[in-house]
Amino acid sequence: MSARHRLRSLLTLVLLNGLIPIRTQPMYLVSLLGSPLAYLFFIDVISRGTLLAYGVTGGLVLMMLSAGTSLQSDLTHYKHDLKFQDVVVASPVEAPVYVGGMALSELVYSLPAASVFFALFVVNGFATLESCVVLVGVLLLVFGFATALAFTLATYFQDVRETYMYSPLLSTLLTVIPPVYYPLSDLPRWAQIAARFSPTTYAAGLVQGSVGLAPLSLDGGILDWGILGAAAAGLFVVAGVKARWKEP
Amino acid sequence: MPSALSASHLGKVYPHASGDAAALDDLSLEVPTGRTYGLIGRNGAGKTTFVRIASTQLAPSSGRVEILGLEAGRDDRAIRLRIACVPQESRPLYFLRVEEVVYLYLKLRGIAAVEARRRTREILDELSLADVRTRLVSRLSGGQRRRTMCAMVLASDAEILFLDEPTTGLDPIARREVWQAIRRTSREHRTILLTTHYLDEVEALSSRLALLEKGRLVLEGTPADLRARVRFPYRVTVQGPIPRAELDSYGRVSEIEGGFLVFTKEAAARELARRALEVGARLSMGPVSLEDVFLEVVGRSIEEEPAADDGEEAWA
Repeated sequence: MSARHRLRSLLTLVLLNGLIPIRTQPMYLVSLLGSPLAYLFFIDVISRGTLLAYGVTGGLVLMMLSAGTSLQSDLTHYKHDLKFQDVVVASPVEAPVYVGGMALSELVYSLPAASVFFALFVVNGFATLESCVVLVGVLLLVFGFATALAFTLATYFQDVRETYMYSPLLSTLLTVIPPVYYPLSDLPRWAQIAARFSPTTYAAGLVQGSVGLAPLSLDGGILDWGILGAAAAGLFVVAGVKARWKEP
Repeated sequence: MPSALSASHLGKVYPHASGDAAALDDLSLEVPTGRTYGLIGRNGAGKTTFVRIASTQLAPSSGRVEILGLEAGRDDRAIRLRIACVPQESRPLYFLRVEEVVYLYLKLRGIAAVEARRRTREILDELSLADVRTRLVSRLSGGQRRRTMCAMVLASDAEILFLDEPTTGLDPIARREVWQAIRRTSREHRTILLTTHYLDEVEALSSRLALLEKGRLVLEGTPADLRARVRFPYRVTVQGPIPRAELDSYGRVSEIEGGFLVFTKEAAARELARRALEVGARLSMGPVSLEDVFLEVVGRSIEEEPAADDGEEAWA
């Protein structure tokens, strides 16, 4: 398959799983906006506005994480209920094209949320060249990490209902409990150590640091970038090894 | 004629299968190029497992499969350029329109937009789906959904098509429309591997067929070959004054409504016809059906579910 054909297949998957479902059910666009906005509202009210900025940066991280992890439901549904993956396997479409196309299609759903939160990011005066570069880099790594996690998990699910319990669990473990919506320094010492096991802690730390909400770590964030990148790369390796294209 | 597909000593034991139950057991067969090849067997006989292995979706436990001279497992990428599959129980994505299911599948395969549109139009006409081409899949009947799946792969450029029970749930008219499309595809010198429960379907479409039971190849050949290999290749129905005891001397006899069904050999069938004329009995005679062959070889109807003590799961 030529590079042109691969690109055509990839874009077809984005159309098929991203754009066309929205035509049928536009509420998909709102669903990814709901949770981050609710958290933002809650944090703003509780903190009397002092943590609003954390709510905005945290919302961006949560949005990208949700976009990536929601892929597990689509993959499981397409594989087990519709046998769509079997149709694709027995065709010229290669596994990385399917994975890439399906992952990119999830980004379509996050566009409204991304627009709203980026507008808030700008309105709050956070948008500088440096912070925008950091934001884009961090969000891409979070999305990569989340999609790799989704592919790995989807391999083990036999029914789409199994994914229903993991989506909220992942969201809680990766964005609500870790310091994504508040400063890491607010946590007690033991909890700060525990939070370091979540890649989203580093993602939020980098974004918060770039907009001046929290001081960057002594090494200027290099360690945070390294850990976040390693987590995404590591999960991609796991997904590559564990995710099944051809059944054993 | 070269083989489009060649399986050699193929075996499959699923991980986590109960006991040592093999879904496929030392299966060897050759599918000729440019023909429709039928695969028949009861649920759990191994048909779907074979299709999944041959269409590179599943790895075998032992043996090898060659597709168009390429080895499955080693040359999967090259094989996938030349095959298409309608898996058993597959359904089109419910939020697509009928024409989008076909068109987008062709685009996924790398077919250019203009050509994909032309092929989509033609296949929807052929399978009487043109009237519902802009209808959402979620609003189609079960039969229309299945036909849409068939349309998708029949419109493709694949050299080998795997159709795993493609007409399940279709009404007789829709089935015959799919048959027409399969025949047309076969005339294009493309190979079709068809699994089905419908023995009339496999007889109408296949130039050769294989009968699987418990993962093993039981019979293989043309429909005429299969009939010739059973002990009693003729079926005679008799209604009239010939007693059961006399009929028993001609072959295997079973009672049917209003008379008897006798499975017998050609010479005995002629003799029985003569005898029926003498005594004024009504008689009809012909070669055994594939259903009869199946019943004699397997000992049960194709519709009968595997018994619990078969030691085999209804795979996939």
